[in-house]
Amino acid sequence: MPKCTINGKEIEVKEGTSIIQAMTENGQRIAHYCWHPGLSVAGVCRLCMVEIEGNPRVQIACNTMVTEGMKINNTSEKVKEAVKWGLDFHLINHPLDCPICDQAGECGLQDQYMEYGIYDSEMAERKVKKHKVVSLGDRIVLDSERCILCSRCVRFTDEVTGTKELGIFNRGDRSEIGTFEDRPLNNKYSINTVDICPVGALTSKDFRFKQRVWYLKDGDTICTGCSTGCNTKVYFNREGIFRIKPRFNKEVNGYWMCDEGRDLYKVFNRENRQIKALKKLGHSFEEMLPGAAAKDIFKNLSTSLQGASLVVTGQLSNEDLQKAFSFFTGALNSKQIYHWKNNPESWSDFDGLLLRGDKNPNTKGVEKCFEEFQIQTRFEDLEAALEQSQISTLVVMVPENIFAYPDLSAKLKHFGKAKNLILLSSSLVSLEDVRGGAHCWVVPMKTTIEKSGSFINHNGLTQFFKKVTTLVSEALTVDQALTLMGGGEVTVEMPHSSSETRFLVDYNHRSDQVKAEAYKKNEFSFKRGTL
Amino acid sequence: MKEVQLLTEHYSKPEYRTLKGYQQWGGYETLKKALKMPPQQIIDEVKNSGLRGRGGAGFPTGMKWGFLPKNGEPRFLLCNGDEGEPGTFKDRIIFEQAPHQLIEGMIISGFAIGSKKGYIYIRGEYKKPAAIIEAALGEAYEVGLLGKNILGTGIDFDLDVYWGAGAYICGEETGMISSLEGDKGQPKLKPPFPAVQGYLKKPTIVNNVETLAAVVPIIRDGATAYRQFGTEKSPGTKLFSLSGNVNKPGNYEVSLGTPLKDLIYDFGGGIKGDRQLKAVIPGGSSAPVLTADEVLKANLDYESLAGLGTMLGSGAVIVIDDSQCMVDLLGVLTHFYSHESCGQCTPCREGTGWLNKIVHSILEGRGRLQDIELLEKVAHQMKGKTICALSDAAALPVISFITKFRDEFEFYVREGRSKVKGISHAKMHH
Amino acid sequence: MSVVQKTGPSSKWYLPGIVVGLGITIRHLFQNLMNPKKMPTINYPEEKYEYGPRFKGNHVLTVKKDGSLRCTACMLCATNCPAQCITIVASEHNDPTVEKFPINYEIDMLRCVFCGFCEEACPVDAIRMGPEWQTPGLNGSQFNYDIERLAYRSNLKGGVLSIVDDDERHKSGI
Repeated sequence: MPKCTINGKEIEVKEGTSIIQAMTENGQRIAHYCWHPGLSVAGVCRLCMVEIEGNPRVQIACNTMVTEGMKINNTSEKVKEAVKWGLDFHLINHPLDCPICDQAGECGLQDQYMEYGIYDSEMAERKVKKHKVVSLGDRIVLDSERCILCSRCVRFTDEVTGTKELGIFNRGDRSEIGTFEDRPLNNKYSINTVDICPVGALTSKDFRFKQRVWYLKDGDTICTGCSTGCNTKVYFNREGIFRIKPRFNKEVNGYWMCDEGRDLYKVFNRENRQIKALKKLGHSFEEMLPGAAAKDIFKNLSTSLQGASLVVTGQLSNEDLQKAFSFFTGALNSKQIYHWKNNPESWSDFDGLLLRGDKNPNTKGVEKCFEEFQIQTRFEDLEAALEQSQISTLVVMVPENIFAYPDLSAKLKHFGKAKNLILLSSSLVSLEDVRGGAHCWVVPMKTTIEKSGSFINHNGLTQFFKKVTTLVSEALTVDQALTLMGGGEVTVEMPHSSSETRFLVDYNHRSDQVKAEAYKKNEFSFKRGTL
Repeated sequence: MKEVQLLTEHYSKPEYRTLKGYQQWGGYETLKKALKMPPQQIIDEVKNSGLRGRGGAGFPTGMKWGFLPKNGEPRFLLCNGDEGEPGTFKDRIIFEQAPHQLIEGMIISGFAIGSKKGYIYIRGEYKKPAAIIEAALGEAYEVGLLGKNILGTGIDFDLDVYWGAGAYICGEETGMISSLEGDKGQPKLKPPFPAVQGYLKKPTIVNNVETLAAVVPIIRDGATAYRQFGTEKSPGTKLFSLSGNVNKPGNYEVSLGTPLKDLIYDFGGGIKGDRQLKAVIPGGSSAPVLTADEVLKANLDYESLAGLGTMLGSGAVIVIDDSQCMVDLLGVLTHFYSHESCGQCTPCREGTGWLNKIVHSILEGRGRLQDIELLEKVAHQMKGKTICALSDAAALPVISFITKFRDEFEFYVREGRSKVKGISHAKMHH
Repeated sequence: MSVVQKTGPSSKWYLPGIVVGLGITIRHLFQNLMNPKKMPTINYPEEKYEYGPRFKGNHVLTVKKDGSLRCTACMLCATNCPAQCITIVASEHNDPTVEKFPINYEIDMLRCVFCGFCEEACPVDAIRMGPEWQTPGLNGSQFNYDIERLAYRSNLKGGVLSIVDDDERHKSGI
């Protein structure tokens, strides 16, 4: 365990730690582009310069290991001069198209320029022209002029995915990133290259020009795309969610996530959500508010709810499952709870990196609940019973990630054979699908990012997530819906008592907003005749 | 003054390049002697001879061999024949005139360091030399000098020729290793050094053609005999490629420590057309230039030239007479380096291009006075900031040209034409 | 606002004040009758007042030589707008040298405070504030100016040319 001194602070690090690792792990700032903790060391941007006592030359921190008693400094004038010039070398051929660059606002060049630069460039020559707006694959667009050739994306495809689609072609200042002919960048993790690109050279076709990043806020959550349970960050504003990025978790996903998981923001946005509740009695349809619909279910079916059947999927959080199981086994005195599994034959699939065949985030949690409440049912039995019209009331927790349930529409038609069908759904349910049943209610529900809870991933790891934002404010949580269906009343807590709603304050309000108390302190009133 | 002929004694004989001719003049006798010696003794002999790498950096060869790990891990011996430094053509004469000398040197060196496989990396443009060395390899394999069980001693050594694709950067040892591995020829980060982790992540020794050939006379005559030539710190002889405005350009083998002016005036026969000497680039294009006054003080050894702020490099002496425009020459050099930068490290990739653009805007008459200062500033910032030395190689000539011939640059900026030639670059090239 | 209250016995003598005030009024009445050209008021709407060219009136979106919008949809104006009255929807252009352009650009004139920050923030001279100031409308929606109205309204005669020229910019190599 060598000890070293970095900028006057004594630090003890593990054997074989590079200086840049030691610095970032201890919260010290150091400029860098090509170094990424999840990739090998390239040492090409030459920006992470540090001065080591006893060495006259500045050195790169990413390829220098910490040794006992090393005295490291990256705040001296010598280092600052070196970084300033390193930055200038990056910028001389970089086009100044920040206004139309998607990276502006989270760009490494902008950040470092504000910290080390603020100079007038002496470059008076013509900049090198390269290819712009090159489509590298289904999801990625390349702008070679913006590229600073840090080779992070190349190393990502070499080392992480092993697909090796990208390479650096040509040499000198004519170098460009590119793909080989007929081998586009179409792997399942391609958008990670956009995340790790420190400049705006690689942009995602999906997010391109949708929003400027400074209009977006972010919140932490868990991906619901499969049983891996990658830790993610969602970027949203009042218009909805615009993208999802991975969040580092050593035990689950490292620095990466798959492209499939990034598409999931679409299921959270209003255009794919059930916003109004639907009620169908016989042949008459009625639209109503979600809360009213839940109350209406109680009013119409209070007795026939007893012994009702419930269909759950692995898309529900542990807390929701607990509530539903205890409501059904307790108040409704029913043990007819069925686990709806989508293509379970491919559940054990794994691509070796992150993607798993089980497209539910909480299958383990469902199994645990079945064990806890000692329920042993088979989904096939329910289907058979439906076929023979033996089910009177069926409550279905419709999965929120409808992409993972391609047979959803057919299944809903099948569920429609029950006498009373209650669909608790966050995603848009087409009226066509529920035409079969005699009576039907569709109640809009909240999605994962609109509530707090926990998932158990494939590994048995329980991960908690907090509410990020509200997109459909009128939708109900499972707790609220079941309480109202059971004849209870729901009280909405005010945003200062519970810890859950404090979260809402954190994310939905700007930190620089003046609090009401502060207003009160400044309060004074004008009186006629005084100044 | 007489030419010393330790290495090049029989180079004038055409039959020397065949196995028969080579053996006629005592070829492969040294190998038989060496194979009877313990490997460590060969390494010690090379160490004692004070042989320094002839490729450019001048690193002591014996010491380099000593960096190899002492275990039985497989290791490689690579011969660097990617002679890309502008002005250098000394390895070519070895390839063409004495291929067997190189092969013998490589077998001895390979035996000494315990390697069973060697590669000769030859630059892509050397088509004829490559054919000659390949023919020589065929001859050597035929008589059992290469392959399994060399000369019945139970020692194995295989040699292959690998053609480069014409990149200057593949002359850098790690760049050459990358190229040999089939990757883009780009230098690798050091540490780890090739002696620890090189070709295919195995310990690797990379030596210049001339260094490996020089092992033969060292083992043949012993270290003490070799040390009789040259100076205390730069022993032995070296091939110098004399080019530029001299009467007799060519390769000359001289003892290290010979005065530079002797090489130019005695061997080279003086300046062409009896013009005045203006400057000399003593060690290939990346070495800082020497003015005519400095040439008189310079001796051809590592220390003397380092004392004058330049280097011996690969031994390419480029003579410049007073009819040459230094701005024009610098334009050629900056263009070369910006064309040859591998594009890996930012200061070199962008810096070489920037230098080239500034020099050419001066040449095209668009120069500003602050451009001269800017050239110096950029060059200083490129020095010592990159993985390999190409950035330094590009920066050093710029700094030395400007500091030593500033008046020519200022004249060019002010008048838009060359001080020496009187016309502009555009006119010269049309 | 405050009201100045003079207290004291003299404040009860209001008659001299009225006489002085009326005197000024009558003097101006006669001055204007004698010399109507020096009258500071104008007969709006028959006569119209011309403001200086730097007057910050209604916005104009400038155009390129080919008549298309100069705006690159960088949204700096919308970011900078203190009234948050600018709405831009960006999209990808077919021409890779243009790359990004607005498919919708709306200014809510009723919210606009005419501060001119949008003009200042614009990196490509795509938005300017012109000398027009008469903006009548019959209902609220008529104050939501779209691209058609901001760039191509009839009095602009086909659009105002931007001073930033892409071709020149590319030629100079910046």
